[in-house]
Amino acid sequence: MSLNAYWAYGLSIHADLVCPELPLHPEANAAPDVEIRLLAPVASVSDTLEHGYFEVRPGVFQLAVPGVGQYRVEEGKRIFIEPLADASIDKVRLFLLGSSMGALLYQRGLFPLHGSAVETDWGAMIFVGAQGAGKSTLAAQFHRSGYRLLSDDVCAVAATPEGLRILPALAQFRLCADAYGRLGSAEGARFDVDKYVVPMGEGYCPDPVPLRAIHILSDHDAEAPKIEVLRGFDRVQRLLENLYRPHYMKGQETQAALMRLAGSIAQQITLLSVARRRDAAGIEGLVSSLELVWAEQFAAATAKESI
Amino acid sequence: MRHFGPEDRLTRTEDMLSTELDQETVLMSIDAGAYYGLEGVARSIWESLATPLTFAVLVDRMVREYKVAPEICSADLERFLAEMEREGLLRVE
Repeated sequence: MSLNAYWAYGLSIHADLVCPELPLHPEANAAPDVEIRLLAPVASVSDTLEHGYFEVRPGVFQLAVPGVGQYRVEEGKRIFIEPLADASIDKVRLFLLGSSMGALLYQRGLFPLHGSAVETDWGAMIFVGAQGAGKSTLAAQFHRSGYRLLSDDVCAVAATPEGLRILPALAQFRLCADAYGRLGSAEGARFDVDKYVVPMGEGYCPDPVPLRAIHILSDHDAEAPKIEVLRGFDRVQRLLENLYRPHYMKGQETQAALMRLAGSIAQQITLLSVARRRDAAGIEGLVSSLELVWAEQFAAATAKESI
Repeated sequence: MRHFGPEDRLTRTEDMLSTELDQETVLMSIDAGAYYGLEGVARSIWESLATPLTFAVLVDRMVREYKVAPEICSADLERFLAEMEREGLLRVE
């Protein structure tokens, strides 16, 4: 059995299947925090799970995906995959690195937001928003402007003794066809299920980064973007609305701790609502608009901290 | 209008996840995708409901805490509890 050592969400991950989406661990012999096992194929997937295709119990998460296979995630440490005999391995990995990894993050008490993140001089910036809001596209635009990427699709936030941190993951983008065309093709890109997959290479940052702001993206028609700091109750609501697979949180042992963490994030981190026009010029302009807002919002605070 | 009897037993539903933000308690129903913010008296009522209790006990507790006339307190509580019940935050037995 071949063993592949990866490093994502601050975890050393050993898998007996190849996952090109995950960054390699610098030390192949590091003790694993998480083990992923691909078991023998099955003839059919379970149809007795509590919520149809998934079930959450303390310490155990199960997922059954018709046409793909079934997954069992235990205590934030182990993922077992039973693929269907004729399943495509790309799809098997899609539900491993998406839904199953999301459930594992909940089990470990990490707060998974559905969005992309970049590293800036002010700290980590996360972009969230509804399906198709352009989170990956905006992150890819920042990447092209020279920023290092922390994550695409799922951003894990951890409470550490030093404060709130984002744990980087996934050394690739998943872009829809028009964004892929606009940002130009890259070496090593391939088409996977429904998105173009573009490796990040040197533009990836593997270390935890202090979390500074969360941006909630939405569309509007006006030419200039409208960027506002959220206040009050809205902050925690908008944060929870952008959890990755929120239904997987209910029933976890970590549920109460995760809700407290949501309160701390809403309290300590700046939440910005960002409405902008969805065209090429709008996206390019947004990078410089956000840079201005960040300088204005965070320059004073950073200066204060460094005294 | 919904009326409550003194022996009606009030229990929080298990559907709600909650967190604290500033002076507010924020409740979330994952199943309904609904959010509620409770401040001041509403928050204190929600906290009282942490362990199930009867309507009479709750009225008594609020009367002492907020120094209001029992009839006024009782009517205000009925309005608020009925709303909580409608939104699925409260079970009445």
